[in-house]
Amino acid sequence: MAPRSIWNGTITFGLVNLPIKLYSATESKTVHFNEVHAKDGARIQHRRICPKEGKAVSYDEVVKGYEVSDDRYVVLDKDEIKAAAGDRGKVIHLTEFVNAAEIDPVFYEKTYFVGSRDHEDVYRLVHEALERTGQAGIGRFTFHDREYLVAVRALDDVIALHTLRFHDEVVSGDELEIDGGSRRPSKREIEMAGRLIETLAEDFSPESYEDSYREAVLDLIERKAKGEEIDLSEQEEPEQGDDLAAALQASLGGKG
Amino acid sequence: MPRSLWRGSLSFGLVNVPVQLVSAARDLDYHFNELHDKDKARIEQRRFCSEEDVEVMWEEVARSFDLDGQQVIVTDEELASVEPRKTRTIDIEAFVDLADVDPIYFDHPYFLVPAGDSEGTLRAYRLLVETMGDAEQVALGRFVMRTKEYLTALRVRDGALTLTTMRFHDEVRPTKPIPTGGKKPGKKELDRAVAVVEELTTEWEPERYEDCYRERLRRVIESKQKRRKIEVPEPEKQPKPAPDLMAALERTLANARAGRDVRSEPDGDLEELSRDELEERAKDAGVRGRTKMSKDELVEALSDR
Repeated sequence: MAPRSIWNGTITFGLVNLPIKLYSATESKTVHFNEVHAKDGARIQHRRICPKEGKAVSYDEVVKGYEVSDDRYVVLDKDEIKAAAGDRGKVIHLTEFVNAAEIDPVFYEKTYFVGSRDHEDVYRLVHEALERTGQAGIGRFTFHDREYLVAVRALDDVIALHTLRFHDEVVSGDELEIDGGSRRPSKREIEMAGRLIETLAEDFSPESYEDSYREAVLDLIERKAKGEEIDLSEQEEPEQGDDLAAALQASLGGKG
Repeated sequence: MPRSLWRGSLSFGLVNVPVQLVSAARDLDYHFNELHDKDKARIEQRRFCSEEDVEVMWEEVARSFDLDGQQVIVTDEELASVEPRKTRTIDIEAFVDLADVDPIYFDHPYFLVPAGDSEGTLRAYRLLVETMGDAEQVALGRFVMRTKEYLTALRVRDGALTLTTMRFHDEVRPTKPIPTGGKKPGKKELDRAVAVVEELTTEWEPERYEDCYRERLRRVIESKQKRRKIEVPEPEKQPKPAPDLMAALERTLANARAGRDVRSEPDGDLEELSRDELEERAKDAGVRGRTKMSKDELVEALSDR
């Protein structure tokens, strides 16, 4: 089944225009529960209540307010919020390119797959150019009246669009004020830790990491549905030692 | 320092480092509250029982899963019983090449900072920073926060350990159903496209990109507060695909090489611009003495580039 697109527009690459559709590239598989009333198992509804009148309010009686000071709001209507979206509409201009490997992972936010909106050959051209150079095109993308900074790059056989965090949204290490302590780790400790990394090195294969917690929750639900008794005993946490060199040596199997 | 979200220990082999987790991303967006239009009172979301039509307090709410139509109620205690054994430990399981982990897997970034200031803790933390700092590798591990287990990638950024939660492989959708257009490009087209990318390549300098949306929204709020009129801009029209792909590529490349706007049509451009527009371009092109130049001098200076 063809996936449902969530946006359509045009990517420009200079004077080359690429009509596109966007698709979600990820989906959360976290086990989702509904809220129910414990007494009768009936579904809980969330209602909007005006605390002044103590009555339910329908959505068309609701406006958006920005709190400028305690309990003082500037009220904006939908069109006014739209004004902040800018004039780019459904066009993403890729005006510059950067080495995709240089973008620190901390900037990546959400990923979408870019699909071709027609059968023009431009899609493959842009894909191959990005793939061959390893570059990501940087542009701006307007979605639901909000503008995002995006990186557009080749990912396997498709083009991917990543929304990026802005630099001031990323916390820098300097802000953490980490105490360096008075004693540096010794050369021997660093050398042993380096060897420990080597022993743990492997190729990344995402399939070998299952969401075991999700499976455990789903299993719990099935056991519960069958009327099984659930063992509620507490789990124990491991203890920890404090001799750094001895712990490293023991981790390496005593061959320090 | 940002607020601590979790405390526990990072376990590397048999070395345990007490750490706390803080977010490495901050939310700078303007947030709105829902108000009742009539009296501008702030709307409250309250829970009601759909059966009895009465308000329900949080203590009376249970968690239910829809198992093929059967409602299965699960308690907090039951959920806690299937939590992984180690809820206070991040176990490093493996080291993999950072370049092999596609950014599509990255979810939320955090920092791990030492918990407490004991000499042993600080030294063990520093050992990990120094050992992992120059490696082109990331450590993979798991940890539990607010009853959910995450797969995480750990590495060093800015002299601190960072932890990024990751998506599981089945949370990344397959690319196969995505339509990828027509034929493979010809060699000539591809060479031109690659040349355009190379011509427009620049360093990744995140500070150069500001959140214009946030700034525009700030101005909209301010205008509204001062009762000024708010104009909604006309959105740009979507351009049609170029009729001649090769010609479009050639023009783009010529524009890029000349340092012009890549989307400008080259015919008769400079002569037709106003003096102000020319000066603007001269500024972008770094022409010296531009403010004192006549229109003709600006055209000449720009056409040399």
